[in-house]
Amino acid sequence: MEETHQRKKKKVASFWSWVVASIIFRLILIYFPKNLNLAARPEVSTPLTSLRRLAEGFWLKQSSMSPYAGSMYHGSPLLLSLLGPLTVKRIEGQPNHLFFSLLSVIADVCSAMLIRATGKKLQMAYSYSLKSLGLLTQLGSSEILSSGDIAALVYLWNPFTIVTCVGLSTSPIENLAVILCLFGACSRLVPLAAFGWVISTHLSLYPAILIIPVVFLLGYGPDAPPRKLFMKEKYSKNLDESPSEGLMQPKLPIGFSWRPVIYFVFWALLWSVYVLVLCSISLKQYGGLQEMFTSTYGFILTVEDLSPNIGALWYFFAEVFDFFRNFFLIVFHVNILVMILPLAIRLNHRPCFLAFVYIAISSMLKSYPSVGDSALYLGLLGLFVNQLADMQFSFFLFCGYVGVSLLSPVMHNLWIWRGTGNANFYFATATVYACLQVLLSSHYSFPVVA
Amino acid sequence: MADGKSETPTEKETPKPKPRPILRLVIFLISQSFLVSVICCTAGVLALLLLPVLAKNTYISENALMPGSASPMISNQEVLDGNKLVEDLTNLNSKYLDGGIESQRIIAKYMSDLGAEVSYHKFHPQSNRFHPLHLFSDPDSRAQENFSCSSYGINTIGIIRAPHGDGKEAIVLATPYNSLKSDLGESFSVGIAFSVFSLLSQVTWLAKDIIWIVADSRYGEYAPVAAWLKDYHVPKFSSLSSGNVEMCHDGKNLYELKGKSITGDFRRAGTMAAALVLKVSDRTEELEDTVSIYAEASNGQMPNLDLINIVYYLAAHHRQGFRVKVERLWSLLDCSLLKVLGTIIEFVGEVARSLNPEWKFGIPATDYVEGTATLASSLYSQALGVPTGPHGAFRDYQVDAITLEFSPKFTSDMKVRHNDFFLRGGRLIEGVIRSVNNLLEKFHQSFFLYLLTSPNKFVSVGVYMIAFALVIAPLPMIAASLYISANNSNSSLKQDKSTLSPYPVADEHSNTVRSWRWLNAAKVVFIIHLWGAVVSLLPYFICQIPDLTSTTSFLIWVLLSVLSLQVLYSILASPFPHANASQPQEGDWALLKSVTISALFIGLGLMSVINFATAEIGALLLVPTCLLARPLRLDLRARSLRSFSRVICNLVLGHIAFPPAAFLVVKGVFSGFGSANVGDFWNWVESLWAWNSATYLYISMVHLPCWVLCIYILIHTC
Repeated sequence: MEETHQRKKKKVASFWSWVVASIIFRLILIYFPKNLNLAARPEVSTPLTSLRRLAEGFWLKQSSMSPYAGSMYHGSPLLLSLLGPLTVKRIEGQPNHLFFSLLSVIADVCSAMLIRATGKKLQMAYSYSLKSLGLLTQLGSSEILSSGDIAALVYLWNPFTIVTCVGLSTSPIENLAVILCLFGACSRLVPLAAFGWVISTHLSLYPAILIIPVVFLLGYGPDAPPRKLFMKEKYSKNLDESPSEGLMQPKLPIGFSWRPVIYFVFWALLWSVYVLVLCSISLKQYGGLQEMFTSTYGFILTVEDLSPNIGALWYFFAEVFDFFRNFFLIVFHVNILVMILPLAIRLNHRPCFLAFVYIAISSMLKSYPSVGDSALYLGLLGLFVNQLADMQFSFFLFCGYVGVSLLSPVMHNLWIWRGTGNANFYFATATVYACLQVLLSSHYSFPVVA
Repeated sequence: MADGKSETPTEKETPKPKPRPILRLVIFLISQSFLVSVICCTAGVLALLLLPVLAKNTYISENALMPGSASPMISNQEVLDGNKLVEDLTNLNSKYLDGGIESQRIIAKYMSDLGAEVSYHKFHPQSNRFHPLHLFSDPDSRAQENFSCSSYGINTIGIIRAPHGDGKEAIVLATPYNSLKSDLGESFSVGIAFSVFSLLSQVTWLAKDIIWIVADSRYGEYAPVAAWLKDYHVPKFSSLSSGNVEMCHDGKNLYELKGKSITGDFRRAGTMAAALVLKVSDRTEELEDTVSIYAEASNGQMPNLDLINIVYYLAAHHRQGFRVKVERLWSLLDCSLLKVLGTIIEFVGEVARSLNPEWKFGIPATDYVEGTATLASSLYSQALGVPTGPHGAFRDYQVDAITLEFSPKFTSDMKVRHNDFFLRGGRLIEGVIRSVNNLLEKFHQSFFLYLLTSPNKFVSVGVYMIAFALVIAPLPMIAASLYISANNSNSSLKQDKSTLSPYPVADEHSNTVRSWRWLNAAKVVFIIHLWGAVVSLLPYFICQIPDLTSTTSFLIWVLLSVLSLQVLYSILASPFPHANASQPQEGDWALLKSVTISALFIGLGLMSVINFATAEIGALLLVPTCLLARPLRLDLRARSLRSFSRVICNLVLGHIAFPPAAFLVVKGVFSGFGSANVGDFWNWVESLWAWNSATYLYISMVHLPCWVLCIYILIHTC
């Protein structure tokens, strides 16, 4: 007993030392922003998340013009008032955007902690449901690190996360909002979950589809084996009719509970009204909410900016004939929506995993993807590391991710700077990247779905 | 997965469904990986040797160029003007010792007499210091260095505005000229350029501005052109950055130079369509007048093939009487092995032709040997990543440029031959400029990625990539088969235990750990690559120590590298907590090898995109080393002929693949083993980083770590 306690203590200590190391590593990198030049990389900062654009929007607003003038800024007006002053503040002799970089480091650490807490909640729920199925073994003691710790470390040490954190983009904050939403739903803090969902939807639109996993989380509780297993168990136990076990039989998960869901809807409405009011106040003199919607959500949905990124849409819409454009816009966006319903039906007993799959799919098909999105779903994947047994393809996928993330800057250089390549070179890496994401999400959701 | 778990026992009884055909193919390849890799590697080497046979004739792919469609207009009058300039310059050299400023003034006067806009450009030679982070940033964003006022050079630039142009495009002529100590060749090159320039100042067909830069080559030929291009493309707005050049000129000299139409302001003329660097060599051993084309820019970049095609087409088909040459490795011409190969290929070609006259793939043996020598030289200078002349500076700004080096056969005192030579050289250059002048867009039609096997034969990227792909194709296959076998052997061990263990979930858990076991190997590989990065940064600090000979620097480098390897390994290589429990397992080295091979595959794949030649040479060295690596202890235990020969191969390859050893062997083969010493390697590496060559990064971050990992596998205890 003493020994296990000690080992546990040691594990916790090593976890925290890795967290501190990751923070120090980020702080070191922050001091080389010019040399690394990450903020200019198309993989890191998209038109939606680039801090340079945010600074421009803030400057426009300071000189009493609409921040959306000139199609530079496409983010939320709230970010403008919160982060804008940070872009102007400078300390002599320090890197330009020191304050913002520090803020994104804090956001990353917060996200990691929330992932860890979510992992703990999931772990508890999982062992509880195993207990109720009578399958409990000494699962807890034999583990290396709990899945929450692993997920948090994966999130913190993922090169994608580090690059987005150092590369002056607002993705860490968007990711924080998404994770906040999931954490709130897992720990049944309805107002928090609603806040996270509203903010993340407000910032980047795509997390709106997370409402389905959140509702499941609140209604059914966290991930558990399928309900028919419980029914079977109950049935067999009834056959056995042994009184001693009947006493020990824990409560079975009950059906869908509507109360927290209604609370959630109420809170979500409240928060969204609140956010909209704040936005309209901040944009009162300019276009108002109408302008905000067209130049944020409209910008996302109509794919106006065709500058290269790691997604597939820019290339496609640069090539497509104008009169087909609307048709293909619908096709691409419906692509995400089509997958929502079947997955929701099949995975309703595993809402957190469902959220992971949704995030992976939307980061694959969204109009301006960046590596920050991959950082988010790879971090969430860590939550299921103990449950997804036998990840045969993990090594292959790992090599693929390493290869693509190194190849993409090289191809970009070949196209833009050397002039010996062309757009197809860069798009080829984007295609490979998309394939990897498809493989990852399909490979890991297959054992759950099938 | 909890849901899947209940079904696993039933699945084992039912026969496995047949996998899809593509999966079956992959499984077949992986199971036959040894045979397949031997075949692939041999085929790759053969394909490389066959490249001269597969080379295609060049053709002019851009229709707008229309080379040679107009008759040359350059006449004796221009040639006489050029000759006069040469005479003035040579007289000046004999008269003044410090003729530096004077000769520039003469050139400027000649230019402005033609009605050109003339300006001077003052520059400081960039010291080629190694800065590690510069390799990653683009040239524009580099920080300004501090200059001393004592050393600077002056470029003279003349611009002719095109009568039909809008000033948005330009063609550049560059002639390196050392005003302090000029030889006749440099004067001649200025003379030829002036003849062309004076013609172009009169013609009406010009649509692009002509810039003629007489680059002050007292600090080397590359530096002045690079400095001028940098100022041309990166306008300086703040006085801080530009000030230090202009501020410290000693008032008298430069102002004396300035006349009515001559300024020290920086003048520009549109984007550059192409650039020609002219040189005349003093060597007269040639039997006929020749033009040598130098095209390799930094990191193996080549100008568009069309530019070379024009020169070849004009020189060969329009009877200017020049023989066009590209560089070749002379020592390969006497190589008897190549001659034998060439004869075999010729014979095979003849046999094939006798069977079916349609098959024409054989080439004469001499052609084959020459093509191979040219190809080898082309590969070598691309692999070095060091530009072969001032044209390299243009490529950094996406301007296609080549150096044309004329070698006349006359001795310098024959006046009549001078005029003839000037006339023909001038015609060639005029023709090239006229073609480029016709261009409507940038050069884009023809190839950028190619290797030359002779001035009119090339191997395009689609062909030479096959050779490379064949060499590296075994890597992923072997990696996959090793990974699978390591996992399977492990699981079979576990199987026996799991029958005893009453807890299915514990087995499940060990299953999870097993499938993540490669992480340990990946960590080792990562640490070694991290060490490679550290090694690549060390010279930066070693350079700070003053007064070191190259040999001691090299030794310090090696010492620090070994030390840092020790430190890194002891800090970071503590295995993950769960690995303590399980003893070092049988499959460990196989997993390590699998991860190493994957890392090598990624590294070589990346390098082949950045610089093909480096990747090809590196692959020829490293792929066999990595594929054959196997713990020596295992082989010695086996005591069979096969394992013994493998040990020998491993030992030989393990020695050769070490970069300094490989360098010394190559150097020894080409210039005798007596002269080779380890200091040379340091000097060579120094030249690589001075030119920001990606080959340096490749050697220290891909090649060296993979070699260390191979050695690690060889001495692995199991």
